[in-house]
Parts: sequence; C-alpha cells; structure tokens
Amino acid sequence: MIFEHALVLSAFLFSIGIYGLITSRNMVRALMCLELILNAVNINLVTFSDFFDRRQLKGNIFSIFVIAVAAAEAAIGPAIVSSIYRNRKSTRINQSNLLNK
Amino acid sequence: MDLSESLHDFILVFLGSGLILGSLGVVFFTNTIFSAFSLGLVLVCVSLFYILSNSHFVAASQLLIYVGAINVLIIFAVMFMNGSEYDQNFRVWTVGDGITLMVCTSIFISQINTILDTSWHGIIWTTRPNQILEQDLISTSQQIGIHLSTDFFLPFELISIILLVALIGAIFVARQ
Repeated sequence: MIFEHALVLSAFLFSIGIYGLITSRNMVRALMCLELILNAVNINLVTFSDFFDRRQLKGNIFSIFVIAVAAAEAAIGPAIVSSIYRNRKSTRINQSNLLNK
Repeated sequence: MDLSESLHDFILVFLGSGLILGSLGVVFFTNTIFSAFSLGLVLVCVSLFYILSNSHFVAASQLLIYVGAINVLIIFAVMFMNGSEYDQNFRVWTVGDGITLMVCTSIFISQINTILDTSWHGIIWTTRPNQILEQDLISTSQQIGIHLSTDFFLPFELISIILLVALIGAIFVARQ
C-alpha cells in the first residue's frame, strides 16, 4: 500500500536530513539538508491530505505555504553565506566567528 | 492517479529508490556540486511522487519553485563560493559523526515502529464515506484556489509580504 510506504520514505528523508544538518561542515550543504527536511514534511502533509481529507485538501494548502517559506529561506540563506564568505574567505561552519571582535 | 496496481507499484519503487539514493548522495558526496545536483534529483522525485498521490497543483509548484528556483540558487551559491575549498573539505570520521548516526538511526527506527503500529485502515474507513460526494464537481486546483481566497486569505497575504521582505533583505545583504 502506498500510504505506509510514503510515510516510511518521508521518515527516512527526515532522518538523513537531520544527520547531514548536524554533521556537515559546509554551510551550503547544511542548507541543502534543510531543504531535505522541509521536503519530508511536505510529503507527510500531501499524503495525509490525499488519504484523509480529500474533500477540503487543507494539507495541500499547508504544503504550499511551506514551499513559500522555503523559498524565502533559500533566498536569505545563500545571501548570508556569501556575505560570510566575503568577509572570512571560508564557508566552514566551525570557523564562522564573526562576532568576537 | 488511477493506474493499474503493478504499474503503480513499479513507479513507486522507482521513485523511492531515486529518492533514497539521491538523499544519500546529498549527504555523502565529498564534492558539493555533486550533492547540489543530487538534491535536484531528490526534488524531481518528490514532485513525481505528488503527481502519483493526486496532488497536481502541489506537484507543479514544487517543480517550479524547488527545482526551478531554489536548486538553481543553491547551485549558483556553490559555484560562487566553492572555488578552492572543496579539496580540503575531505571528511574524516569522528566520534560525533558516529553518535549522530546512532541518534538518527534510533529516530528512524522509532518512527517506523510508530507508523507500522498505528491502524491507519480504521481511520481511513471512518473518514471515507463523506469523501465521495462532490468529488467530480470541481478539480483540486479549483478547490485550492477557493480555499486560498476564502479561508486562508490572511495567511496568503502574509506569506506574500514575508516573501517580499525576504527577497529585498537578500538583495540588501548580498549587494555590499
């Protein structure tokens, strides 16, 4: 059945996203893993909306809102990372100590 | 979509394997540009998955926004910043990686236990009978449009303001 398979897929995507978000040393890769986590949440919302709420489709609307917030996050994130890179010549997470002047 | 059962299962296995391999590639490739393209593969697979579960509008917006905007922006950021650095960015396996792998595996196993223990069929059969009527009258895109302009009108306007402010802020931060 598709329902449990979709939930297991989104659980796997969520776990691997959290693993990459914690262990990555590059900021851009951390942003990519954040997109993976948001996609896992979207898969859950769309699947529950398709199976339980086929009349009102509120899960689809929430997933559209999540996509819009992810677009805002993906515009802000590389801008901040490029600003840090311009000041530090590095995008490693453990070397971003911009505040200790 | 109303496909036959075997074709449905085949497409599901195909998309699932693409999604799993792509997400593993996002985390474990050493070169960042490869993991950015692998993220594109994952996003396309998720969009096809939405088509498979009858949500065509979300599939189209996923394909437009994620693959067309976010992934291109991430690839641009990788190309902009990753000139001389990825060769010294090799991965050494530390203790923290092992602990994180253990914690994430335990989260995954507990989620799978919760999913398989819950009796979803009972919930489906209790909510199924009021879904049949007015099914074919309007399409799902029309339904989403009606909801966005009546019930969710204030969040819709707020999300547009958030998007405007975020884009102006991104331009302002990246410009200097």
